[in-house]
Amino acid sequence: MSPNIPAIEVSGLRKHFGATTALDGLDLRVEKGTVAGFLGPNGSGKSTTIRILLGLLRPDGGTATLLGGDPWRDAVELHRRLAYVPGDVSLWPNLTGGQAIDILSRLRGGVDTNKRDQLLERFELDPTKKARSYSKGNRQKVALVAGLASNAELLVLDEPTSGLDPLMQEVFTDCIREVKAQGRSVLLSSHIFAEVEKLCDTVTIIRDGQTVEAGRLDELRHLHRTTVSVVLDRDASVLASVAGINQLVADGTKATFTVGEAELGGVLAALAAYSPRQLVSSPPSLEDLFLRHYGGAAKDAGAAPAQKAGVR
Amino acid sequence: MTTSTVPAHAAAPAPALAGTLARYWMCVRFLLRRNWLRLVIWVAVLAVMIPIVYTSQQEAFPTQADRDAYANVANTPAIAAMTGLPYAAGSLGGILVIKIWMTLAVALGLASTFLVTRNGRADEEQGRTELLRASALGRHAYSLANYTVVAGLSVTTGLLISLLALADKLPAAGSWVLGGSIAGVGLAFVGIAALCGQLGSTSRGANSLGVAVLAVFYLIRAIADVDAHDTNVTPLSWFSPIGWGQNMRPYARDSWWPFLALLALAAAGCALALRIEARRDLGMGLLPARPGPARATAFLASPLGLALRLQRATLISWLIGAVVAGLFFGSVAKAMTSVLDPSNSFAKAFLGGSQDMLNGILGTFVLFNGMLAAAFAVQSLSGARAEESGGRLESLLAGSLARTRWLGANLAVAAVGSAVMLLLGGWLMGASSNGAATGSGLALASFTYWPAVLLMLGLLLFLNGFLPRPGVSIAWAVYGVSVVIAMFGGLFSLSEQAIKATPFGAVPRLPAEDFTFLPVLALAAIAVVLAVLGMRRFATRDIMPE
Repeated sequence: MSPNIPAIEVSGLRKHFGATTALDGLDLRVEKGTVAGFLGPNGSGKSTTIRILLGLLRPDGGTATLLGGDPWRDAVELHRRLAYVPGDVSLWPNLTGGQAIDILSRLRGGVDTNKRDQLLERFELDPTKKARSYSKGNRQKVALVAGLASNAELLVLDEPTSGLDPLMQEVFTDCIREVKAQGRSVLLSSHIFAEVEKLCDTVTIIRDGQTVEAGRLDELRHLHRTTVSVVLDRDASVLASVAGINQLVADGTKATFTVGEAELGGVLAALAAYSPRQLVSSPPSLEDLFLRHYGGAAKDAGAAPAQKAGVR
Repeated sequence: MTTSTVPAHAAAPAPALAGTLARYWMCVRFLLRRNWLRLVIWVAVLAVMIPIVYTSQQEAFPTQADRDAYANVANTPAIAAMTGLPYAAGSLGGILVIKIWMTLAVALGLASTFLVTRNGRADEEQGRTELLRASALGRHAYSLANYTVVAGLSVTTGLLISLLALADKLPAAGSWVLGGSIAGVGLAFVGIAALCGQLGSTSRGANSLGVAVLAVFYLIRAIADVDAHDTNVTPLSWFSPIGWGQNMRPYARDSWWPFLALLALAAAGCALALRIEARRDLGMGLLPARPGPARATAFLASPLGLALRLQRATLISWLIGAVVAGLFFGSVAKAMTSVLDPSNSFAKAFLGGSQDMLNGILGTFVLFNGMLAAAFAVQSLSGARAEESGGRLESLLAGSLARTRWLGANLAVAAVGSAVMLLLGGWLMGASSNGAATGSGLALASFTYWPAVLLMLGLLLFLNGFLPRPGVSIAWAVYGVSVVIAMFGGLFSLSEQAIKATPFGAVPRLPAEDFTFLPVLALAAIAVVLAVLGMRRFATRDIMPE
């Protein structure tokens, strides 16, 4: 397989369930050797996309290519080369975690025993316990160990850390960095912005089954406005007359406003005339990008948990 | 002061009893509220058996001469092993005891076990006990309330049984002993279940332990009763609380003192359980949950190995069922010829219209075998659907596993398992029939039903492909209708052709009828067509967990 073929290429993907439209022309591209973040509100179609990529669902329209093959037709062959970690892991209650790991690994092709044992230790998972007695976090660890112990070219991870504590999330972050260093590709669906910002090269944000934003994380930042907070030696409302300043909120000598990338130089030069005592500029965070696309109604509902999830 | 390594809670004096039982009555009310429907159903179902069985036996043995004739033949090893010694088969009360005492005692024992676990260990496992204990509740209040409420089930059931027996004008002393002996066995199992709930650390473990203890006690008394001379028990009978209950002998000896032993066992079990509860940590059992294997064998990780492992309990319990049914059918077949009245319409339907009574009975028993195997097959293959709806199939198919290979492995377990059930059950039936038939003869007769079993499997595969959500329910409904038509079609004055058009009715009733290829081939062909269509559809449809 030539190196320029993307690990995942999806365009115009459509899927209906009865009267509801789950995917409405979704695009997604994951280059080889990169970690791609896949973000969207609940019910926006992330899991549906992943299920189509795994050959579990059949698309109604559009194209999907996985490792150069057809995810539906070539499912059995392609799955030797990918590992999947679901967000809500269900296991066989009367089998142990270790047995489940081996079953899932062997169905893909084989078990790398060394790697498996190392991961068990890193994730502090007891493989001799019956899955019935595992908590959500431990069930998630079983799927993670099975997925990460593989040498698959592509990892498809659907909210893989939703049940893990912060320490274990850190272990997960390290593991994904190692995967990336080995030149393997990762599709990471997540709600944890800090995780995505730390790990991902590219980000795709979807909403209502459509892609609303996609690109390299650093490029996306350029497209959006920097937020600046200043404290002046006079009433800050004078800033209203400066060209390039938007969304100004002035409160006494304090002010907060946004500036586009192109106007930043001019604005800073103009600011110097007002002798600022303090100046803080923050680049647009992923959370800002994300909340922007979640839109009005979703903003109120989505903002609080999103912030919580992002805090470490 | 000396240093000590004893944990502080072990050294501390036990709090006063009143403290450990605080809010006991509140717990009793709460438990009654939570379980009342279950309790009422158990009491009603068990007690109503008395008038039903009494009336049927009164019809079967209307005169004293009939009962005396029965008393001469009642004492067979099969009766002794299954229901106990027929010590008073010459009276209606004694016959009632033969027909229903063991069923009621064992059922009440099981009910007590399951209820004690449900409100005890299961609550603890689910974390509900923690919530209760965190409130101002004595440590033993909830457990003791649990034992009290379930003991109340035994007492109420026993009382109602006695009253219903009295209402049927059975002798008063015997009727009270009848209710008392059944209630006593139930109470004893409250004590045993209380202990099991302290020993096991999961509700499954506690229930399995309780059922195992009950099975062992049942077996002990079965051996004792088979070994008995005439109707005099062997001492072994006293090593089982079920035996104690039997030895109260309602409508004969009417002895009450074994009842005291049953009460003592109940009290000792509950007291010991509370003692253990006072010394252990919440959520733990005396028997720790055993760790399982950390690795899966290569076979377990294959589709067939996984299907076999997941179906293991189902497979084993149905095989045991087939063995027990085969032995039972075989051993009673000859005796049934003297019980059935060929002019009775029920009997006619039972014999499937056969003129030869013995072969008619055997043909019907073989049909039962076929129905059992089909029930196993449907239950086993339903497991595949449960894997999909439970979300586990997604993880499997995300590996390099073809859908048809996975479903094929599950189908193989159901198809081969049912074939083994048919052959084994049929062979044992013939071998235990005292020469009424041969093992190989009935094994082959049973196996004739395999195409009917395959038809049910084909139907389930078809439904799994096209109507996955209601599929399993529809398959069971079709199974139920087919069973009823095959067994009672004649009674509903259904035509011969209509009965022959159903899966079980289509199969020639060996050994009463001659073997014919056409219906068997037709069943197999329909099964294959349905299976292929279902498999193809499953290979191309969306996989949908629920």
